Amino acid sequence: MDLRQTLTAELGQRRLRNARYSLRAFARDLGTDHATLSQLLRGRRVLSPRLVRQFGRKLHLSTADIADASEQHHADAILRLSRLASFRPNSRWIATRTGLSLDSVNAALARLLHQRQLVMESATQWKFPHPHHA
Amino acid sequence: MPNPVVRWQILSPEPNQAAAFYQKLFAWKLDQANALGYRELRSGSDAGIDGGVWPAPPGVKSFVQLFIEVPDVAACITRATELGAQVLIPKSVLPDGDAMAVLLDPTGISFAVCQTNPQL
Repeated sequence: MDLRQTLTAELGQRRLRNARYSLRAFARDLGTDHATLSQLLRGRRVLSPRLVRQFGRKLHLSTADIADASEQHHADAILRLSRLASFRPNSRWIATRTGLSLDSVNAALARLLHQRQLVMESATQWKFPHPHHA
Repeated sequence: MPNPVVRWQILSPEPNQAAAFYQKLFAWKLDQANALGYRELRSGSDAGIDGGVWPAPPGVKSFVQLFIEVPDVAACITRATELGAQVLIPKSVLPDGDAMAVLLDPTGISFAVCQTNPQL
């Protein structure tokens, strides 16, 4: 689940029900501020793990959906990191750089493999064939 | 017999808890000193096979996967898909050099095929 897309879709739904429903009102309902939400929706700010959980609860997502959104968020963080020249194909290094737990990194790597967004070609070479917009 | 089952893997939403439970219950050795921090559980016995614990995907209950060693992971994937399997995780080379892939059999059971470091 891509939480950013979910938020955009939810805002659209609310505007269909009430044409005067504003981004500011949506931010208030999500427990955040207008500027933060605006940046998040435009992809200019990265969702923090705390905001993923907070928005998930406010949107009444299931625990499984919130966990899924969190894992996608972790996968996106790895994809962003992979663009660095200094990137190392190593779970422990990724965990240190992202601040994620080793389990979160490994689960996100498995997700990327499943989504065909990561290819482990050799013990030391990983490829990310589909550059992500995250 | 060719293509033996060489290991088992528990996928759990609570990998720490699962690993600790089996470690304590059976006095198995728990070792995470590897590149992935993978929780290896070893009985130390000549009988049976060893295994490990990996975090489960979100919203999925704990389950067990079997690893079958094959001489050629890519060839096995081709044959498995001919027989109706789906590829969940394509052939991947792990940091220790071993190759593996995760497949879903036609009845819905996931399993892994692996090949000990093909470069050796």
